[in-house]
Amino acid sequence: MRAYATLIGQFIRASVQQELAYRANFLISLMHSLLNAATGVLGVAVLFGQVETVRGWDLGATLAVLGVYLTVGALRDLVISPSLDALAGMDGEVWTGRLDFTLLRPVDIQFLASVRHWRPFALVDLVIGIGVLVAAAARLDAAPGPGDLGAFLVAFGAGLLALYAVLLAFIGLTFWSPGFLFSWVFSGLFQMARYPVGLYPGWMRLALTWVVPVGIITTVPAQALAGDVGPGLLAGSVIAAVGLFAGATALFRAGLRRYASASS
Amino acid sequence: MNHRGGWALIRRTWASWMQYRGFFFLLAFGWMIPPLVYLFVWSTAAGGATVGGFSRGEFVAYYLVLILVNQLTYAQTNWIVGDVIRGGGMSQWLLYPLAPAYHVLSSELAGKVVYMIFVVPVTAVLAITLKPELHASLADVLAFVPALIFAWMLRFLWGYWLALLAFWSTRADALLAVQDALVFLLAGQVAPVALLPGVLGRAAEMLPFRYMVGFPVEVLTGQVSGTELATGFACQLGWLAVALGLTWILWRRGVRHYAAVGG
Repeated sequence: MRAYATLIGQFIRASVQQELAYRANFLISLMHSLLNAATGVLGVAVLFGQVETVRGWDLGATLAVLGVYLTVGALRDLVISPSLDALAGMDGEVWTGRLDFTLLRPVDIQFLASVRHWRPFALVDLVIGIGVLVAAAARLDAAPGPGDLGAFLVAFGAGLLALYAVLLAFIGLTFWSPGFLFSWVFSGLFQMARYPVGLYPGWMRLALTWVVPVGIITTVPAQALAGDVGPGLLAGSVIAAVGLFAGATALFRAGLRRYASASS
Repeated sequence: MNHRGGWALIRRTWASWMQYRGFFFLLAFGWMIPPLVYLFVWSTAAGGATVGGFSRGEFVAYYLVLILVNQLTYAQTNWIVGDVIRGGGMSQWLLYPLAPAYHVLSSELAGKVVYMIFVVPVTAVLAITLKPELHASLADVLAFVPALIFAWMLRFLWGYWLALLAFWSTRADALLAVQDALVFLLAGQVAPVALLPGVLGRAAEMLPFRYMVGFPVEVLTGQVSGTELATGFACQLGWLAVALGLTWILWRRGVRHYAAVGG
């Protein structure tokens, strides 16, 4: 366990050193992050400039979903995506056979594939996301109590685990079709997580909660913050996240067994 | 001008892009989602009533047309132009016995064809399931065609002059990203421009971004007519002239400044 923690520390150090070589990129990524957050917040503001509530969602609650979306997205960009994406695509490790060198390391391959690369600039997005979340919490009808915060943290953890599981599963599919960018499909669908799943039509709501678990990732944590989540839904999302994680791990390992380097 | 060679280049680019159509379909899929999100959000908000004068079906029609117009006017070529200048590939473009504009035009046309093969059927399926209400008169359709063509030219040239800044700065891509964000906010994607509040709405009407996407959509969905239509076209052509002028100046000075990699 200690060894794994040391490894993560070393990975972070190496990534920070790499990124510091491109300091001018910091300003540009700061600008991107601010624009991204600003368009998101303004989009919500324009909607609630026209209507008071939509299917029971008001400005504060919808803003909370956006806050969770930005925060989760920042954590994804911080480590999950940079690490996992190195495997996929035409110049990814699976296609080119560079995964050989990764497999030779005396560490668990799933661990290594998930935490290898860090993108420290994503910390800016994290700060902005948390900022939106705090601003949203202040606008909620009932200020969140300690119980709500606890429920929020549990739901947020479950959502993050579900997000990681889905991304891992999509990367696992890379072993069957190395050139296809499965994660792009998910990135497209994940944009739907900006808004509460309740704002989508019925058939989509079901798909977005249970098939592509966008609902578990952003809507449920925001509802927990507002105190609208019963123990049933909370337990359900934790169970779903753990189930997804187990399934994704199995898929990833099955894919790994198919790997035959760059030869055919 | 060697037009026959230019046409051959366009056909070659188109053929090579079709080979990688899976990749381009994925890109088009990703670009379709944001307007689709707002389609669902606004049509849910309207429900059985209207919001800002739009009924549910009218929101659906507005956003379905917007998905098509957005894809048709999106000039991804401009990202390539920046890369070509930075990477030194521009030397090759300049050595061809063709106007360099043909290189840009060829990937622009190839892109439109490949993306439309994906976007049109998907939009058609959405139209069948979501039941849009489109009341377009013949006059609207006739006004839509030039509005769409000018919108494409404006969005293309506006991005092109931004991309040409790569002759002087390696970071010009950042400006393209800013343009994308502004188009997203002010060109009628987040909400139809008529629903934007106060300052934001006035800014949207004055700045060029609405005339790149939102304006043709509004024309086809029958939201603008009479003097508004005339003012809209005047703004569109005015901004187009500005973009054309900037492109002309930046291209002439840029090519003289250009020294490939290592200069």
